[in-house]
Amino acid sequence: MLGTGLAKGLKYTLKQLTREKVTYDYPNEPLPLPDRFRGIQKFYPEKCIVCNQCANICPTDCIQLTGKKHPDPTKKGKIIDTYDINFEICILCDLCTEVCPTEAIIMTNNFELAEFSRDMLFKNLEWLDENDENIRQVNKP
Amino acid sequence: MVSRTEEMILNVGPQHPSTHGVFRLVVHLDGELITKAEPVIGYLHRGTEKLAEDLQYTQIIPYTDRMDYLSAMTNNYVICHAVETMMGIQVPERADYLRVIAMELGRVASHLVWWGTYLLDLGATSPFIYMFREREMIINMLNELSGGRLTFNYMRVGGVKWDAPEGWIQKVREFIPYMREQIKGYHTLVTGNEIFVNRVTGIGKYTKEDAINYSLSGPNLRCTGVKWDLRKDEPYSIYDRFDFDVITHEGGDALARYHVRTQEIEESLKILEQAVEQFPEEGQILAKVPKIIKAPKGEAFVRIESPRGEIGCYISSDGKKEPYRLKFRRPSFYNLQILPKLLEGENIANMIAILGAIDIVLGEVDG
Repeated sequence: MLGTGLAKGLKYTLKQLTREKVTYDYPNEPLPLPDRFRGIQKFYPEKCIVCNQCANICPTDCIQLTGKKHPDPTKKGKIIDTYDINFEICILCDLCTEVCPTEAIIMTNNFELAEFSRDMLFKNLEWLDENDENIRQVNKP
Repeated sequence: MVSRTEEMILNVGPQHPSTHGVFRLVVHLDGELITKAEPVIGYLHRGTEKLAEDLQYTQIIPYTDRMDYLSAMTNNYVICHAVETMMGIQVPERADYLRVIAMELGRVASHLVWWGTYLLDLGATSPFIYMFREREMIINMLNELSGGRLTFNYMRVGGVKWDAPEGWIQKVREFIPYMREQIKGYHTLVTGNEIFVNRVTGIGKYTKEDAINYSLSGPNLRCTGVKWDLRKDEPYSIYDRFDFDVITHEGGDALARYHVRTQEIEESLKILEQAVEQFPEEGQILAKVPKIIKAPKGEAFVRIESPRGEIGCYISSDGKKEPYRLKFRRPSFYNLQILPKLLEGENIANMIAILGAIDIVLGEVDG
């Protein structure tokens, strides 16, 4: 009979009313995210050995870094001088953290990147160093 | 006085919610009838294939995520599979299972999006909300696995990036009966609805010959009765280990495509059920591959079954770490080509119902 399908559908909809809510009160409550979530990177300048691997693997070339000589003349190697990520083009693909041999750059769960100006999306070493909340616990598989 | 109808040209899109992205359609109307329809594509063209020529193979994987963004796992797989074929890499069993589970979850999620949005196009709002609720569960699972909700960047040449987290396989196992129960509910809500069935029966109809001549693939081909599914006919990965059916319908209209897709969800759940049952306890997730991947000189073409049809990847390599030429056979692009033929002579009211039934993703059409 025409209309029985409609009535059944309406019954299904009414049944859903008693179900638990699945939405979050997002801006007021933080969104629960898994540890592996790929958010804005955290950078540890003291761990970095200026090997350039992150800048080389980056598919969008959004990482720029420069190193300088170690201030202690007895020690070899370089230390990081500047480290910038351009979040206008960063696609948060996680490849930089994957190749980093010292885990100097790791992902966090922070994803809120909206800014009023494009320039603000250009994050430097200090900003990335201070981004130390919700850091990923297990970085390497 | 003789009344005369002038031809009207109506521009639909590119910013139109029912075009599922940035698709523009110029329709010539005679009263309410469409006399000619011209699709205009390219608004989302990013030149993935050209960009790939300057990228290492690992760097191309995140770009493939952005083609068919509703089932990025299959895109990840096709590029990895192509490189593995060229290099002759044997993928570890555990990685294969993780790949299949991820791809099939992606297929369910993708079909749920289609199911929901198609009904939304036809004016039914509530199924969309229900289907996105279940899709969100899948996306959360894939997020736990790969760290991304849509752009997974999960697969690597030779395996996968992450192993399954603690208790993840159990989560997938519990999800399967839950999803089956929900599908029953959807069928009562939508498939049993007389208005919906009458609305989509007989529209956008094409024959088996047309489907083959237009190179349609996936549900768009199987809705005409052609039994062709690469998972069955040209098994890749470990698909030969699973018992599932290839869904076909005879109608060739929007309703047949609807039935093929909805039943495919159930087949995917069957595969998932067997995959979590057979999932190896231990094992490697990444084969031994060189740090910088260089495909040997030569060329390869592989194709797999994505939710939208056959996605293929052609690589021509000159032995360097970047491909010399990369080409994706993107199913949405091919499936869309039949649209002008389907729309000709149709009523304007059927336009969105026909377009929606083809199930295109503009990221894939434009490449």
